[in-house]
Amino acid sequence: MEKAKKTKSIYYKFLGKTYIKSDSVVGAVFILPAVVLGAIFVIAPMVVSLSYAFTDANLLKLNEVGWAGLRQFKKAFTDRFMWNAFKNTMIFVVKVVPLQLLAALGLALILNTKIRGNTFFRWAFFCPVMLSLAVTSFLWMNLLNPEEGLINALLKVFHIPPQPFLESPKQAMNVIVVISAWQGAGYQMLIFLSGLKNIPPELYEAAGVDGAGSGTKFFRITLPSILPTFSFVLVTMLIGAFRLMTQPMIMTQGGPTDSTMTMSYYIYQQGIKYRDVGYSSAIALLYTLFMSTVALTLRKVTDQKD
Amino acid sequence: MQTQVLPNFVKVKRKISPAHVVLKTAAILGLALLCVIFLFPVLWMIVSSLKTQDQIYAQLSSWRTFLPATWNVGKWFVAYKNLFDSFDYFGRSILNSVIYCSITILGVLLLNSFAGYALARLEFPGSRVIGTIVLLLIIVPVETSIVPLYVILKNLGLLTKELRVVGYLIPNFVSAFYIFMFRQFFIGMPKELEEAARIDGSGRLSTYFRIIMPLSKAIFATVAIFTFMGAWNEYVFAQLMFSKPEQQPLQVFLQLVNSFNPKDLSMVMAALTFSTIPIAIVYIFCQRYIIEGVSFSGLK
Repeated sequence: MEKAKKTKSIYYKFLGKTYIKSDSVVGAVFILPAVVLGAIFVIAPMVVSLSYAFTDANLLKLNEVGWAGLRQFKKAFTDRFMWNAFKNTMIFVVKVVPLQLLAALGLALILNTKIRGNTFFRWAFFCPVMLSLAVTSFLWMNLLNPEEGLINALLKVFHIPPQPFLESPKQAMNVIVVISAWQGAGYQMLIFLSGLKNIPPELYEAAGVDGAGSGTKFFRITLPSILPTFSFVLVTMLIGAFRLMTQPMIMTQGGPTDSTMTMSYYIYQQGIKYRDVGYSSAIALLYTLFMSTVALTLRKVTDQKD
Repeated sequence: MQTQVLPNFVKVKRKISPAHVVLKTAAILGLALLCVIFLFPVLWMIVSSLKTQDQIYAQLSSWRTFLPATWNVGKWFVAYKNLFDSFDYFGRSILNSVIYCSITILGVLLLNSFAGYALARLEFPGSRVIGTIVLLLIIVPVETSIVPLYVILKNLGLLTKELRVVGYLIPNFVSAFYIFMFRQFFIGMPKELEEAARIDGSGRLSTYFRIIMPLSKAIFATVAIFTFMGAWNEYVFAQLMFSKPEQQPLQVFLQLVNSFNPKDLSMVMAALTFSTIPIAIVYIFCQRYIIEGVSFSGLK
């Protein structure tokens, strides 16, 4: 008690609240580097993006930025290349999210049982997750080469005619869907597995004593228990899919005939390749509004179900 | 053990019926088939990196495409050696990746753990506001296009050839998500530890370094591993920042290997395999931390 008195803290008031002085000093020192870098490299880009959306800023002439009002937004709504990119991204999202989600959940449910070779299967399905997006893209680009790629060689064995894959406007986006699901599903499988592991086994035992069959157990215990995990995975996967960019950037550069141009890639190209920072910022702002609305609505809907 | 006496013991026993066995076998067969679909591209990548380009094309339509052309291990790594011989900066790009990753991990651990601790334990004017901003940044998906970041780097003069590396590394140091992760971890630690240290006359700073940090190895390891994987795999921002091969990290250098004329497929596969090895090693040896991090993000 004596010692505690010796180190008694000095208090001070700020805006009607009492703080401990030494805590404030250490707190300020600890948080300052993160606040400074966060302000410059996280917050400032958002502010820049927001304000440049109303200007005609050009990457090469950032000193002479003129006010453009809502002109960039008007341009966006009549820009058929932007709408094409938006449409492509939505097609990607609508296809990849269910495919990857079901694959991940299905694998997790099967591997959550005491099946033979469990550990091996887990590693096998997780294997593609270890490849970076760049490696995945370069690898599949070569596998899918129409003339000398492995996939067409395999199809030939099964007497299926060679396919153009990434060189066909009809197939390219579907190919990117499959590749992305292939690469990512193992990761969400792991999240589902850790969610399933957290279900207390007593629940199943109690249900078993009550005479519940495996179907009832699945719908009444398993599914409700992993619903929070499910909604988390769904939202993160959705946002990730909205931001598709690396795969088309490497494999197709948005082609053929703009069939794999996505929103994130379009925003990037407008700003970097065409140096139209103002326009790029305007579309980014619109797209952020769109993504936030979808993500927050979805979160609300899934949270209410709990 | 008492359940064995219960009447439904008989029922439980009967459940292992022929139908059950068939179902289970079917599940395993289905899994095995899926397994082949998931694994064959990776297997082919690795095996092809051990062949010459001629061997790859000659065996493409045969099952031998999934096996090494020779079992003479000494001949396996020709393509890897060729990579170093044909590209002046291949070795350099590996070194670049290692350097960029190390600096990023150090910066991320230091900055975010400090911030996380401040938000978890210390109250000071503005701490609540900052905490809310951190949470908002995690929840609201902002189209974090790198265009405005590029504009900022340009205005700061960080796009010159010498300073580009700084401009590439520093923006990755702070992460709302890692701050949040550290904060949650520190909140979960018993306060008594710090209070005891305090009564012994230890200041906040020395308490942090002497007591908190050593007890937080798990969270530091988890964040370090996730940072490493993110930094090692970074592509889009890296290809924008580094057009000069001598500055490029491995992931961007792959582009050069892949588009090299005349193309050598075995060399491409060697480069792809090579750039995956560090990540695979981390996954195999740091499983525990990865599962921890994954379940943390899943249960948030």
